[in-house]
Amino acid sequence: MISAIQTQSLAKQYGSLLALSEFTLDVARGSIFGLLGPNGAGKTTLIRILTTLMRQTSGEAFIEGLDTRNQGREIRRLIGVVPQENSLDRYLTARENLELHARLHGMESKRYRKRIDELLELMGLAGRQKDFPDTYSGGMQRRLVVTRALLHEPKLLFLDEPTTGLDPQSRRAVWDYIRSIAGDMTIFLTTHYLEEAEQLCDRIAIMDHGRLIALGSTQELKDRLTGGTVYEIVFGAGAEHYAVILRGMACVLGIQVAGQTVSVGLERWECLSEVIAALNGAEVRRISLKERTLEDVFISLTGTGVRE
Amino acid sequence: MRLRGSLAIWLRDMLVLRRNIASEMVAVVAYPLTIYLAFGIGMKGYIGLVDGVPYGMFIAPGLITMTAVNAAYSESVWSLWFHRRVQFTIESYRVTPISVAEIVIAKIFSGFSHGLIKGLVVGLVIFAITPFRFPPSHLLIYLSFLVPGSAFFSCAGVICGTIMDKPETIGRVEAVFIMPLIFMSGLFFPLSSYPAAIIPWVRMLPTTALFEGARQALVNGSFLYGFAIQVGGTALLTFCAAVWIFRRKMAE
Repeated sequence: MISAIQTQSLAKQYGSLLALSEFTLDVARGSIFGLLGPNGAGKTTLIRILTTLMRQTSGEAFIEGLDTRNQGREIRRLIGVVPQENSLDRYLTARENLELHARLHGMESKRYRKRIDELLELMGLAGRQKDFPDTYSGGMQRRLVVTRALLHEPKLLFLDEPTTGLDPQSRRAVWDYIRSIAGDMTIFLTTHYLEEAEQLCDRIAIMDHGRLIALGSTQELKDRLTGGTVYEIVFGAGAEHYAVILRGMACVLGIQVAGQTVSVGLERWECLSEVIAALNGAEVRRISLKERTLEDVFISLTGTGVRE
Repeated sequence: MRLRGSLAIWLRDMLVLRRNIASEMVAVVAYPLTIYLAFGIGMKGYIGLVDGVPYGMFIAPGLITMTAVNAAYSESVWSLWFHRRVQFTIESYRVTPISVAEIVIAKIFSGFSHGLIKGLVVGLVIFAITPFRFPPSHLLIYLSFLVPGSAFFSCAGVICGTIMDKPETIGRVEAVFIMPLIFMSGLFFPLSSYPAAIIPWVRMLPTTALFEGARQALVNGSFLYGFAIQVGGTALLTFCAAVWIFRRKMAE
């Protein structure tokens, strides 16, 4: 696997606070990689180190083989960044915002004019290119920031919560666009929307308290959580009674009762016939396979407590 | 050091200035002009000659200089604070292949350019509506004070805009530190008005060197080397300090 991003025992300390600890990661070139974590988990610190905005306290980080500690300028040539805040210049028109970015990247005017025309057309902003970003909707501003990040044709695109604050339509438009450019470049995405990570990412890392706590594809993470299959049984009455019976069965891994609904974790789906036999005579309204979501994985790993 | 990034950011700042030039100039001209009308014309009957020149002529160079350095300071401090704390554009510059030094140099030059342009506009207005006249050759000597003076205040603005996170702090520094420094430097009265024991201390202020040197240059055409070196040296020191402080802040 050719790595676009590689970190080795990366750590960042602010005074007595350890924001990032022993963080080792490998992101394959051309993949869409998602980074999840609750507020304060260390996601932004990691992105700031990878985009050379901040220096690590210890450990190593490489972007396309370049060391973040001493090859910042070369790295910034290769990356595009969509930050959490829109960071658009409200005193410049949309086109002028893009032109400034192109000049900062040292692009020739002939080249950047053509590229800006293409991208504005592609992002549906060509008709509003002479307007100031303040007059744009949230979705349009976000698209303009993405356009800016893509202008210099980066090899690696960092998207820090790219769809926060967008309506569902705009969010889906951004997803579609991310999918359309995937493959040509590596995309590193942080998000609070687990559905977004599930929809877009080839691989997902979950971090908390500055540490990497899980890594894999969506399916691998879900499998890791359930360790089997979960069924939801809705009773007409007597849920508690049957929950006790089911809890005593060897192939049942876990039971959760909520009113007349019992969630049963099974070692493997073949155990279902044993469960049905045990429910002989019960007033069963519905039995359904419960799909584990990425949110279940996330909550199970990071807890339900609200973070500051 | 490559300065491609500095040029791009400076051009951006000049584009914004050009776009807002009319409203900017009204605000810039109004303040010194009011002072000139109130003191230069209103008080001239009471004050008469100061250091051998009419009072209106005595304060005119100082007002032009004050406009320039105030504009340089304000542009730098507010621009840097706004781009860093409100618009986050500094962050967007920093993920491009330019150095932190290029950003700070651009902001210093933008403040300096604002100061120079606004100072000269106020000078033209005072020239147009008052009897204050000077030989054109004096202007060159005057610029040798105005240029480093504006650079000094622009660098000071960059330092404040870098280290201050709250806008009210910026306002307080302006009211408690910058304006008193300007007013105490002999803008409205000759240094000889100070008690003799204080004069050596006041003369050590870089603002005294700037305002006194600028006045002597414009009114008498004399070049005070000591003051010129003091202003130039202070500008150089604050420039180094501004670049160093900004780099440190960005590394946090």
